[in-house]
Amino acid sequence: MAAELALGVLEGEERAEAIRQSLANPAFAAMVRKWQGRLDPLGEGYDETPPPSNLWPAIEARLGAQPLGGDVRKVQFWRGATALAGALAACLAAVVVFRPPTIQEVQVQAPSGGSAIAQLAGADGTLLAANLSPQENRLSIRAVTLPDSALVPELWIIPGDGVPRSLGLINADGTTLVVLPPELKALLVDGAVLAVSLETPEGAPHTAPSSTPIATGKISTI
Amino acid sequence: MPNAELADARRDELSGLIEQVARGDRAALAAVYERTSAKLFGVCLRVARDRDAAEDILQDVYLKVWNRAGRFDRTCGSPITWLCAVARNAAIDWVRKHGAPVLPAPDPDDASGADLGEAMEAMAADEGRAHIFDCLEGLPDQQQRAIRLAFFDGSSHSELASIMQVPLGTTKSWIRRGLLQLRGCLQGE
Repeated sequence: MAAELALGVLEGEERAEAIRQSLANPAFAAMVRKWQGRLDPLGEGYDETPPPSNLWPAIEARLGAQPLGGDVRKVQFWRGATALAGALAACLAAVVVFRPPTIQEVQVQAPSGGSAIAQLAGADGTLLAANLSPQENRLSIRAVTLPDSALVPELWIIPGDGVPRSLGLINADGTTLVVLPPELKALLVDGAVLAVSLETPEGAPHTAPSSTPIATGKISTI
Repeated sequence: MPNAELADARRDELSGLIEQVARGDRAALAAVYERTSAKLFGVCLRVARDRDAAEDILQDVYLKVWNRAGRFDRTCGSPITWLCAVARNAAIDWVRKHGAPVLPAPDPDDASGADLGEAMEAMAADEGRAHIFDCLEGLPDQQQRAIRLAFFDGSSHSELASIMQVPLGTTKSWIRRGLLQLRGCLQGE
């Protein structure tokens, strides 16, 4: 299955399961990387097609909004404008680049109205239970069993794109109430993965986990 | 400058640019875009089979490159291979989420031959190409075709079954046997 994930041929539940495995199981993840290393050189076989000239300015504009990170799309309206008029678009580009955007159009699916749960499990009986109330913008997570460690647990949401986003540090003992940032709330949908890794408290929330998660579990809406 | 040296120089330059991107240099990203966007757009377009979608995906690809350039390691492989992998993975993520227009079922007359294609022939002439291309060509026709469709067109198991007009179990076993044979071939170097 590692080879098929690297090839990209998996779909649906098989793909979700393989992605979950590659997040939870370092040996499996290493196999996927090995297969990617074997197959990726085939990429040289793709033909070239020049993209439209308005694409780079759109990327540059989105780069300007990057500190917010991730998948928030602010320039869709602007891309439409470039198609209409080059000169006007150039002016708009200046505006988009130099004026910090104030309106965020959050993409992705709307979060479900009902509540949702997730059970996060890992090796050696590591277990956490999470309960989500999207309409109240919060998630409570209880550490049932965590390994002893000088590090602290950090909670991540991993949506379909496979990129973990931090939901912050949580207590190694007992229940933590996590307030969901608006830009991440929409990612907590049915089937998205919650993961916990052990991190140093300095600099949290981190931009990426420093190690393999100790527990992962899928969100299920009720 | 001989071709091989020229290719090495280009690769080193691109690797250097990606390393600059990792340090937050936007001009370097613009230079990477200038050198690679036609290739990566080719990847997105081939997998998504839809121009608008491919344009959206390409934007995401360069934002990913911006955010993940620090993970590129020039000792692990060529920069264009790394960039193509970022683009291909992004495009496959997209089509698994949104679906892609169905590839037309091929004319049975050219099922095994024609679309193995000109690109492969052009690559065959290039002595510097990766060994995996030779290994791929050594596979039985059906396995080779299934793996090529999966890799280059981003076809899933069920799409392969419908394109190749055989049961799902058959394409799955072509893929699995093909992959194992590829691994054997690559290890036998």
